[in-house]
Amino acid sequence: MKLRHDRFQLSLPRAKWMAFPLMLLIVGCGEGPSEANTEGAASTSQEADMDVEGMMPARRQKAFKKIFHAVPSPIETAMLLERSGIQFDSDALHGLDNAVGYSTTELQSVNLGIYAGDLSYSVIFNQNQQSVDYLNTCRRLCDGLGVGDIIDADLISRADNNRDVRDSLVDIVTDTFYALNARFRENDMEEVGGLMAAGGWIEGVYLGTRSLNTSTDDLKLRIAEQKMTLDNLLGLLNSYEATPALTAMKEALAPVEAAFSGVTITENAAAATAAEDGTVIISGGPEVSYDEATLAAISESIAAVRNQYAQ
Amino acid sequence: MTAIKKLPFAALALVMMFTTADAAAQCRTFTKKRCLPELEDYVQNDNYNTAVLIPGDEAELELTFFGDRAYRLLVCGHPVLGDLTFQVLDSRGNGIYDSADKESDLFDFRVANTQQMTIRVQVPETDAVIQHEGCVSIMVGSKG
Repeated sequence: MKLRHDRFQLSLPRAKWMAFPLMLLIVGCGEGPSEANTEGAASTSQEADMDVEGMMPARRQKAFKKIFHAVPSPIETAMLLERSGIQFDSDALHGLDNAVGYSTTELQSVNLGIYAGDLSYSVIFNQNQQSVDYLNTCRRLCDGLGVGDIIDADLISRADNNRDVRDSLVDIVTDTFYALNARFRENDMEEVGGLMAAGGWIEGVYLGTRSLNTSTDDLKLRIAEQKMTLDNLLGLLNSYEATPALTAMKEALAPVEAAFSGVTITENAAAATAAEDGTVIISGGPEVSYDEATLAAISESIAAVRNQYAQ
Repeated sequence: MTAIKKLPFAALALVMMFTTADAAAQCRTFTKKRCLPELEDYVQNDNYNTAVLIPGDEAELELTFFGDRAYRLLVCGHPVLGDLTFQVLDSRGNGIYDSADKESDLFDFRVANTQQMTIRVQVPETDAVIQHEGCVSIMVGSKG
């Protein structure tokens, strides 16, 4: 077939189409030095980086509203459990050896969250060797999910060297899971991120409800309050495009949601006041009420969903 | 011939894909270098609440804050976007805090009772002929 010459002449509209990608390419290539190259740079070069890093000419004109959904991190939940007087129970943790058996993205993602919960619990309760072991297990699952570079040998070594310094381990864990969440967002791996968040939330509530009969009132209240964080979690899962794995997770959480319906939250206005030392205190807000039967139902339902995934 | 016609669109899609990924990676670097240090000794919530926004955009985050715990809320945006403002709303939508009359992008507070609150962020409008987009991050740290 003979090609007509005029098809290869660029008319103005065509030239625009060709120029636009080229322009974007030029803009896209105009970023500052990479993260690795700029870390530790002198302050003068950091100021120069500011001009290009984290901004570029706008690619859209119409304003929109970005809604973020977030759940408390496993470390935050573990700190909450510790302050509520819970006793460390190594028997409640998910077996390290089970990690080798998870071959699907769904199971790897949920169990990464579950192991993140156990890792956080171990770190907060100063279970040093166990913390490193759980970090290694998370690494194994990250490898399976294609993000193994985030928990690399250097990170494991750093954790091992700091195993006796709780604050350092807390920093390592929070930085690692922040990086994982960022990577999942950047790489359109929202399903993985959502399932990991669900796994972490499930494990936190599971660990908190293992010894309800000997729990403090504070711990019981903290468990009942998880009705609010379940609401955050479901908001997160519902914000993603439905996939079979996300739908299965929401279905698995339905009995947990039903159990939490026994917790009554009475909404009241909150107010910020300044204490004498200048600290702003937000008081008021919701009142939470529950009974023992509701807590038992929560405990039973969370164990069922946890064990469904952590086989 | 059809393939030739589709070439510019394919190129556009490819370049858009790379620039979007590039912008996201830049935001992570920006957040790590410029925002995270502002949390100081507060333990960061490991959620990644960062987006590329333009003038006039809003962002909103709903999160549960636990009773008897201290929090630092940080709204961190690229300077090209101007002075971002943010409000903290209680679960009924009532305003608790407004940064508009403050000179800080930080809000330190302690929560007496566990509650869900919403953080609402505004990027100011601009009359500039060439608008820029920039990274905005809502960061939450907690301690004690």
